[in-house]
Amino acid sequence: MYRTAAKRLFSAATHSYHGNLHRLRLRPPHSQIFIPYRCFSTSEDQPFPIPQSPVHPETPLIPDSAPSSSPSPSPDEDPRTRGDKYQDEKSRVLHASLTHVIKLGWTEAALIAGAKDVGLSPSIVGSLPRKEAALVEFFMDDCLQKLIDRIDSDESLKTLTPSECISKLIRIRLEMQAPYISTWPQALSIQAQPVNVPTSFKQRAMLVDEIWHAAGDTASDIDWYAKRTVLAGIYSTTEIYMLTDTSPDFRDTWAFLDARVKDAFDLKKTIQEAQHLAEAVSAGLGNTFQGFVGKVLRR
Amino acid sequence: MALRTVTRKLGNKFFPLLSSTSHLHSHATSFGFKEVKEEEKAAMVGNVFSNVASNYDLMNDLMSAGLHRLWKDRLVSKLNPFPGMKHLDVAGGTGDVAFRILERINRVKQRGIQRDFEDILEAETKIYVCDINPNMLNVGKQRALQKDGSLVWVEGNAESLGFQNDSMDGYTIAFGIRNVTHIEKVLSEAHRVLKRGGRFLCLELSHVGIPVFKELYDLYSFSVIPSMGEMVAGDRESYQYLVESIRRFPTQEKFASMIADAGFQKVEYENLVGGVVAVHSGVKI
Repeated sequence: MYRTAAKRLFSAATHSYHGNLHRLRLRPPHSQIFIPYRCFSTSEDQPFPIPQSPVHPETPLIPDSAPSSSPSPSPDEDPRTRGDKYQDEKSRVLHASLTHVIKLGWTEAALIAGAKDVGLSPSIVGSLPRKEAALVEFFMDDCLQKLIDRIDSDESLKTLTPSECISKLIRIRLEMQAPYISTWPQALSIQAQPVNVPTSFKQRAMLVDEIWHAAGDTASDIDWYAKRTVLAGIYSTTEIYMLTDTSPDFRDTWAFLDARVKDAFDLKKTIQEAQHLAEAVSAGLGNTFQGFVGKVLRR
Repeated sequence: MALRTVTRKLGNKFFPLLSSTSHLHSHATSFGFKEVKEEEKAAMVGNVFSNVASNYDLMNDLMSAGLHRLWKDRLVSKLNPFPGMKHLDVAGGTGDVAFRILERINRVKQRGIQRDFEDILEAETKIYVCDINPNMLNVGKQRALQKDGSLVWVEGNAESLGFQNDSMDGYTIAFGIRNVTHIEKVLSEAHRVLKRGGRFLCLELSHVGIPVFKELYDLYSFSVIPSMGEMVAGDRESYQYLVESIRRFPTQEKFASMIADAGFQKVEYENLVGGVVAVHSGVKI
């Protein structure tokens, strides 16, 4: 339910964003070649949603997502492609900044270094709404995209049971964070800042939704919320456990993860059994009550 | 539709001052609510600022009740300066914005001597203060005697800057673009001197749309400010020009579209004090 709506929005964004990633991964020096491709993308490009800050109401004339039609387009350029150019450059800067994160942390210094790598003036960092948060959010989106790619390409996932599938997917996702593990506490603290919470919450919600969908979930009632909440809990606790795990290849973390997933599924069975018990008891009580009332009335 | 174009054309002929559609063209020939020849405007504005230079900072404090300091702080924080940047502050005569930028950069440098940050930035910070009026520059230079040498004072015209293409990381113009003769020329010059990724920021008195507040603001502007100018600086005319020129300047949206036309991307504006002041920004890609 959520997934289909999100998929429509997100895949529209990833459609053009995907092009970005491929461009970045496969042929960085030839990024110019793909600009015509961007012209034809009809989607709104919004790799990460940027919530409006309530303290200073900012009125974007040309918002990030859609180049508005109010400025008259210069004869040689379509306003749509001009807006896209900024998005492209922003993605390039953020991508280049990620390589500096290990040394410099999730800070402005990393962003400045990234801008210099790409050949832009570091002033562009000033135009990012919530600088370090933008970098973290970019990374989260990037990882989610990689996870989706992995889900789509990996056929073996379909043969696993739900609990195994969930375990494996969380493991794959957390392994993407492994190179940055020394600076990840900083990233988490940035995500926890009140200004950034709406976006980070949304990103995690999408991640959890994606994993459940891949594990074959078809629920659409109150269960949907319960499942996602439980999975979000498992994911977060495993993530935090990973921060202090010093075992080789994070073996202990995966053991922890498996145990938590098992607990969750056991909990589900326990709840079901408790439900059955309650039904049985109430049925029994009902019979007793009926019998009692009947006797009284027959009198 | 046809009726509208006819009335618009007639409006241009008979009511040049009141026609809202000819704002752009008329900026070059408007001196407040007076109409002047394009060639004369620069000289007239020059006179105004020669007159006000010595009391400029004091009058700013009085007219805005000290708020102008906060507005300039906001401009500089939006700019987000970094050590090693080359910045150009146009129409920055008395140096307010330039001093703030320098202060902020030095603060960052002291605070974050991060491990590898320094070898990434070996370039020296340079802030160029450009103004067409030498009197204003002199006031600034005097204030700067005790500051360090990263400031460079340049006399020049915003419409034809003497700087090379792609040489500046940042460009600011605070309370200056209202006074130029050709706004578009200034914007395209700004676009020319900025590097790729460089940002353009403009702090300017702008239009208030909020109903009751607008009336109060108009009252304050036209009654209080010229009288204050007369009492404190002995110059009613200049301050009358000031408040009139604010009304003649394009609206926030119109100005933003002009910035976009000059080639800037991610053009945004932020209203401060309900629109009394607006900070417009754009990025050169």
